[in-house]
Amino acid sequence: MQVNKPENFNENVIKALSQPNLKKVIRRTTDKAESKRAEAVASFPEFEKARLQGQKVKDHTIKHMGHYLAEFEKNAIAQGTIVHWASTAEEASKIVLDICRQHQAKTVTRSKSMLGEEIGLTHAFDNSEIERIETDLAEHIIQLAGDPPSHIVWPAMHRSREDVVKLFREFHKDPTQSEEIVDLVASARRDLRAKFLNSDIGISGSNFLLADSGSSCTVTNEGNAELTITPPKVHIVTAGIEKLVPSMAHAVPLLRLLTRSATGADITQYITFHNGPKRPNDADGPEECHIVLVDNGRTKMLANGMKEMLRCIRCGACMNHCVVYKHIGGHAYGSVYPGPMGSVLTPHLNSLEVANKQTHACTMNGRCEEVCPVNIPLPSLLRSLRAQSWEQKYEPLTNRFFVNVFAQVAKRPRLFQFASACSLIAMKIFSRNGWIRFMPMASGWTRNRDLIAPDTNTFMQQYNAQQKAKKLTTKP
Amino acid sequence: MSEANTNAVLSASDVIQCRNISDKKVGLFVTCLVNAMRPSIGFAALNLLEQAGCSVEVPQSQSCCGQPAFNSGDDEGTRQIAYQTIEHFEHFDYLVVPSGSCAAMIKKNFIEVFKEQPHWLARAKHLASITHELLSFLVDVCDFEPAGVKLDGTYTYHDSCSGYRSLGVYEQPRKMLATVEGLTQKPLNGHSECCGFGGTFCVKYSDISNEIVAEKTQNILATDAQYLLGGDMGCLMNMAGKLNREGHSKITALHTAEVLAGMTEELVSVKNAGK
Amino acid sequence: MTKQTNDLSRARIFKAIEDASQNTNMDKQAIDAEALDILSESEFARPQLLSSDASEALMMRIDAGLVIGTTCEKIDSLMNLPNAVKQFFSQHNLPSVLKVQALESLTSLSWEDIAIDVDIQQDNTVGLCMAEYGVAETGSFVVHSSANMPILLNFLPLYLIAVVAKSKVLHYMDDYALIANAIAKKGETPRNMCLISGVSGTTDIEGVLVQGAHGPERLHVIIIEDK
Repeated sequence: MQVNKPENFNENVIKALSQPNLKKVIRRTTDKAESKRAEAVASFPEFEKARLQGQKVKDHTIKHMGHYLAEFEKNAIAQGTIVHWASTAEEASKIVLDICRQHQAKTVTRSKSMLGEEIGLTHAFDNSEIERIETDLAEHIIQLAGDPPSHIVWPAMHRSREDVVKLFREFHKDPTQSEEIVDLVASARRDLRAKFLNSDIGISGSNFLLADSGSSCTVTNEGNAELTITPPKVHIVTAGIEKLVPSMAHAVPLLRLLTRSATGADITQYITFHNGPKRPNDADGPEECHIVLVDNGRTKMLANGMKEMLRCIRCGACMNHCVVYKHIGGHAYGSVYPGPMGSVLTPHLNSLEVANKQTHACTMNGRCEEVCPVNIPLPSLLRSLRAQSWEQKYEPLTNRFFVNVFAQVAKRPRLFQFASACSLIAMKIFSRNGWIRFMPMASGWTRNRDLIAPDTNTFMQQYNAQQKAKKLTTKP
Repeated sequence: MSEANTNAVLSASDVIQCRNISDKKVGLFVTCLVNAMRPSIGFAALNLLEQAGCSVEVPQSQSCCGQPAFNSGDDEGTRQIAYQTIEHFEHFDYLVVPSGSCAAMIKKNFIEVFKEQPHWLARAKHLASITHELLSFLVDVCDFEPAGVKLDGTYTYHDSCSGYRSLGVYEQPRKMLATVEGLTQKPLNGHSECCGFGGTFCVKYSDISNEIVAEKTQNILATDAQYLLGGDMGCLMNMAGKLNREGHSKITALHTAEVLAGMTEELVSVKNAGK
Repeated sequence: MTKQTNDLSRARIFKAIEDASQNTNMDKQAIDAEALDILSESEFARPQLLSSDASEALMMRIDAGLVIGTTCEKIDSLMNLPNAVKQFFSQHNLPSVLKVQALESLTSLSWEDIAIDVDIQQDNTVGLCMAEYGVAETGSFVVHSSANMPILLNFLPLYLIAVVAKSKVLHYMDDYALIANAIAKKGETPRNMCLISGVSGTTDIEGVLVQGAHGPERLHVIIIEDK
């Protein structure tokens, strides 16, 4: 599958809208996610309080980010973890590959990590001599298919059962002959089991970094994280610096919010705290632990008046409820992170010049903010990015021209009233039977919709005429 | 159309019911869409506000709330427009708007563009504090209950995003519509789902907008209601325009204020005459 | 990555944070106090339990089907464990072999003709482990890695039996966090602490739930009435 670029968003959208089955495929995931989340929220009366608390945990940590980062580093090192710092995606990716090469790794197993995708580990490994084995079922599927992820929680949601049947038959050593989903999963289980146990290095992401212990927390349903991390000699964690929370007790409120918002379950099956390498007599576990702390635009968000975005716990609720995402899907955004959260993140991880169009593909309806478990004001942040984009003149000239003309007229109310009245005269020409089916300059609208034909006069004209008439009739 | 009578004498009980609203001055901001595309909403608003006992003025110097500029990221353009609205409306006791999105713009977003100008910020904050969306104003501030409105038929209600999410407008229109004799509600599946208008969005991403509104019309038609009601002209234009293009001429889209002001029959006959 | 580049990035990141931050010249004590204050809200921001008795609440949660692929029972003492395991085998039509965690208290029980040291790297085995704690809120059991707790024991078998002492069942995840904190203060934090709330599952293919994705397909929690 061709990887879309964020700067080609408009073209990506056209492609997406022209795919006949895409909407059906998207809704299969988002409809369920929406209804399950609604059920979970309905059966958790304290949800709003939990949201407020979760927001406070994040805001407090962001406010004292320097302090908590330093604490985390200190405590991680004390636990025996080797801590690395990466300003950019390239640096982070290079650190990971260097560690792998130092250990002469031939194979690495990976559990699902959007940050790993973000820093380009997929690409880096595929261009190296090291074999990359994805263990999360969805990541495994898209690895076999050569696809980029289309959702942060269900990266393979764009692939049907039939697709998976074909892929497993082609790539599994001993694939199932059945087409039942339960057998396909069993096929993957068989295929990956030996790979887990024989891998040289296990690479995971992190859902939470606990500052007071220097630990990393993974939150999964499959158990593939633990199977990825435990057998190999070396464990590498890649994590964005915004994953920090003060302590396990502070991760708990966020754990209450995360799964409910993502899948509608109360909790995921596996919550594991990783506290460094194996202790001297441990029955199993990695001998060496690394953590790569990644910036890649996060401090940019802090500096850019977007610190609220750092609250994000990657639940995916915003995209599940986004009316635009539900029509165009994840690939159209051309980024690891799609939908509302992606539209705020990508300009920072990448650049606003490259990813400004996405910020306009939003109706500002506010549903994303409403379902965000940590109250991120997504529409407001997107609007701020539009303002920055405007200042940088990334907007096409024609758009700027029309907005400028509109503003110039609107700021002169009398002129505006006059212009409005004139426009009605123009619209009259195109009115037929109370509707306008075509009008130049309005083809964006009239291509697919009719426009109600207006009256001959504006409200102001009619109102003034009425007031005049009243004065005449009530003259003493 | 009933004549607007700004000099109505109120009875004592009216005054009590309207919580002394009669000594408060209301400035009506009709919005640019209503002004150009649907004056009847402006007149309906006037009608209802006066029935509710308000003394209403319609300042001549009004244009647009500035959303097109604001949502395009043109903060300076927004400011230029906002100066006007602030200057011409801040002296009122209330600024009332027959649109959730425009009311939300004035109430929530003017302050966003004046962060560097403390003088204007203060004035914008004041204006925000007196700004109300029409339907919620009638119920929450005026305690208004429409009387004597008759309309046989069924309606379904689309809750516009700004009104619903930013301003909490939900119960108020339904409460008032419940007083209309003969009118019953058919709930709309996805009543608070965005219709795809989104102001500049419907022009910038008209194809996505079209897909969204096409789904919305499916839900609307599934209710089999005769009237599609809402509180925002932009949304109504969008949905009505799509319904008509799809050939569904039986259902009529109206602003809630128009129904409550008793204008339904006249507007429907105008629509049918246009055929 | 050389140490120099690494140090540069580290410095760059800390500087960027400092440049962007509004305040804060708060000292560690003040920051800790602020952090603690947020936790005081926890008791109002968490779900009600099905019972005020933690082990009862845990069992009710499992019995209500809220913990994926999990069943539970209570037995009077560890002595009855081999019998409970025997019943588990017959219920699931399994041969009498499993891997019992290498804990004296478990291996020394009267297992009779049940083989207790099967190799869990084989397919489709049964594992049995002693949990450190249970958590009623989430229907979980907790294991800590150690010399006689290989973490893989909880992941490789297809069937897993987890034994929890009644007195070790906690009400909320917050209670476990307190315990973890106390362990940390003693310098005894294990490499892994796993909160396990059901069986391995996935919905990655067309949103259909399948149990036993990579880890166990069935989980049986046995609560031991202790003291």
